[in-house]
Amino acid sequence: MFEPIKENWRVLLLVVVVLGATVALFAPQFAPQTAPGESQGDATQGVTNLQYGLDLAGGTRVRAPLLGYTATNVEFDGENPSQVASDVAAELDETSARDVSAVQTTEEGGEVEVTDSSVSEEEFRAAMDASGYAYDGIRSGVTQESRDAAEQVIQDKINEAGLSGGSVQQVQSVTGEYFLLIEVPGQGRQDVIDLLEERGTVQIAIAYPDSSAEDGTAVEENVLIQDDFEDIGTASRQEGGPGAYVPVSVVNEAPEGEQSPAHRFQDAAVEYEVASASGGARCDYDMDADALGEGSDSCLLLVVDGEVVNAFGMEDGLARSMAEGSWADSGNFRLTTTSFSDAQTISINLRAGALPAELDISGQGTSSTISASQGENFRLYSAITGVFAVFAVAGMVFLRYREPKVALPMIVTALAEVYALLGFAALVGYPLELAVIAGFIAVVGTGVDDLVIIADEVMSEGEVNSRTVFDSRFRRAFWVIGAAAATTIVAMSPLMVLSLGDLSGFAIFTILGVLIGVLVTRPAYGDILRRLLTIR
Amino acid sequence: MTAIEVPEVDYTEYSNRQLVLVPLAVLVLAIVVIGGWYAVTGAPATLGLEFTGGVELRIADDGSGDVEERIETTFDREPDSIRAIPADDVYVVTFRAGDDDPDGLASDLEEQADAADLETEAIDQVSASFATDTARTAVFGIGLAFLGMSVLVFALFRTFVPSIAVVASAFSDLVIPVAAMNLLGIEMTLGIVAALLMIIGYSVDSDILLNNSVLRRTGEFYESVNRAMRTGVTMTVTSIAAMVVMAIVATVFGIGLLRDIGIILTIGLCADLMNTYLLNVALLRWYKFEGVKR
Repeated sequence: MFEPIKENWRVLLLVVVVLGATVALFAPQFAPQTAPGESQGDATQGVTNLQYGLDLAGGTRVRAPLLGYTATNVEFDGENPSQVASDVAAELDETSARDVSAVQTTEEGGEVEVTDSSVSEEEFRAAMDASGYAYDGIRSGVTQESRDAAEQVIQDKINEAGLSGGSVQQVQSVTGEYFLLIEVPGQGRQDVIDLLEERGTVQIAIAYPDSSAEDGTAVEENVLIQDDFEDIGTASRQEGGPGAYVPVSVVNEAPEGEQSPAHRFQDAAVEYEVASASGGARCDYDMDADALGEGSDSCLLLVVDGEVVNAFGMEDGLARSMAEGSWADSGNFRLTTTSFSDAQTISINLRAGALPAELDISGQGTSSTISASQGENFRLYSAITGVFAVFAVAGMVFLRYREPKVALPMIVTALAEVYALLGFAALVGYPLELAVIAGFIAVVGTGVDDLVIIADEVMSEGEVNSRTVFDSRFRRAFWVIGAAAATTIVAMSPLMVLSLGDLSGFAIFTILGVLIGVLVTRPAYGDILRRLLTIR
Repeated sequence: MTAIEVPEVDYTEYSNRQLVLVPLAVLVLAIVVIGGWYAVTGAPATLGLEFTGGVELRIADDGSGDVEERIETTFDREPDSIRAIPADDVYVVTFRAGDDDPDGLASDLEEQADAADLETEAIDQVSASFATDTARTAVFGIGLAFLGMSVLVFALFRTFVPSIAVVASAFSDLVIPVAAMNLLGIEMTLGIVAALLMIIGYSVDSDILLNNSVLRRTGEFYESVNRAMRTGVTMTVTSIAAMVVMAIVATVFGIGLLRDIGIILTIGLCADLMNTYLLNVALLRWYKFEGVKR
């Protein structure tokens, strides 16, 4: 009973692989996972479980480095990292201490990075020299910690902005430089770049009248910073007004002996006369001049990425609770903006956090966008191209052999190979892209080449009259096929790991195709041919 | 019905010198073309957007009939090329990265297109420094693949002349398409890099088949060559057919990546037919009849 199975196990293996591919392609259990807020229907594109990459579905891909410089192997001389960072920052004019950070990597020291894009390599080198800490050298780019943080922040930003299916990963070029690769399906270029290009730092500053200043205005910076906010609400429209706001609460707990951000803010508001027992400040701020208007009270400034996006005074009720010192108990606050979209941006930025460094998209990065309709066209066109290529191969094979017994199984096995690859793509959720389609066509090409080798070898030197003759000829053919497969794999493997556009998909699927071919489909073709040709 | 047979070539009529002459002449010519290109333009081939930096827009043809004129006048920079893809109703417009810093160039162009009511279907922006990096990676990748293939071939055959014959013919298969690209005005793109790597994999197949037939199988030399040729030519011609069709269909639909791969593989595989059955056969014959005796 087991004899037929043993005899035909190669063909059976191919059948199993094809059935497995069918399950992976169509069974709902293998359907793509849904992103938050996405229905199953949205996640599944079309009747199969296949997922499509950007160039076949539309969307935006951005690849860019994080701007900054890192001093390597810095000796901390026993100081703690934050002390080192502030020492270096002190040597850089106009660079806030938040843009310099130090990371301890060994007992003796670690790395120091500057993430202020206006600092040049020379300036940073000079600052490092002046700070007196010994270091090996300066490289462009930021530390591993910052890259990881940036990856997380961008992922959060994409999720918070409701762009479903977006992904972020780090890639390294041959020259050792790191890039962040961000892919957002179904979104236009400008939307994605607006989201990424700004670091998204949010702070509250207070502008107060100062007669000694030229424009009569002095500013107290960083009264509240990103980390001081918690329980960030969603952007809401102002009742009965054009503005909008984001409800937040300010952290009102602090370790022993330190002042909490909420208490600090309360004190600052009173000190700079935004709030007093008689009521709140009436703000009149000139955005163009970045100064208080004539006779204006103090203003709270909402500053995003160093730009003042809104200035506002304070409601009387809130001001009184601040003056009494009771506001900090709750810490509730509204960040008001002039437009709803500003409020949305601020809400996203506060939730996701600020990027540790700026993404340099226009300077050293690349971006590409494809509209959804163009992507769908490409999907159809590349399918047509593939079908035509298969027809060309089939036509040539029929012309050459004129024997359906040889040619038909050849084409069927070659197609089974592509089908198995599609199943694999569905199984692991690898998005199909143009490059992957090109890989499929390459697989059909090499696949048929090898089947031609088998057919010619088996049919050479007269009739196949016994199983032994067939087997020995088949083995001879297999040496060539194995050698050819090995060279293809060797030739393609650099592409798999190098970051060259989306060509890694092409390489991965060509190599996989060659492997499936050598291990599954070509032996099966041999078995089929044997049954058809052996004279019993 | 008879099957189409691969014609048998009577190699005894030609001396090794005669056989080698044609492929070597073509190879030298190809190297001269590439060298000349390098001397004149500073690069071995006409580099595409991915290797020079710049912006490529796909602009939808709304059927008004004057889209091309509008594209020419809309942008404050003159497009370096405008290509119509009738099957897809789009125009592909490219702007090379200028010497002036192209900061925000893609956004500017997108805005200008919007302002002129041109619908952009796709935008690709590559910065100049990233492009240089890509070029270096590509050269490195091709070099690595070629080196790996050579090592593998030497490991498989363990004899110098047959191995070097395979490597030399693979080298020629790479160089000839690049020279042909220059002459045909095809730009170097990432798709072409993929195609060149594929040539390394593909072209070696027929050489391995030939070497295997001659070196590892019993039988007279010419019989072995003809046997390998029957199979090898079928293989290569089948692949050429697939690639020609792919190149044509992809050109009609404006899918650059598939078009580039199709064109380059077609040229590379034609070069491979010549190199395998002239250069490689001659070297093998020399090895078999004279080289071994030494």
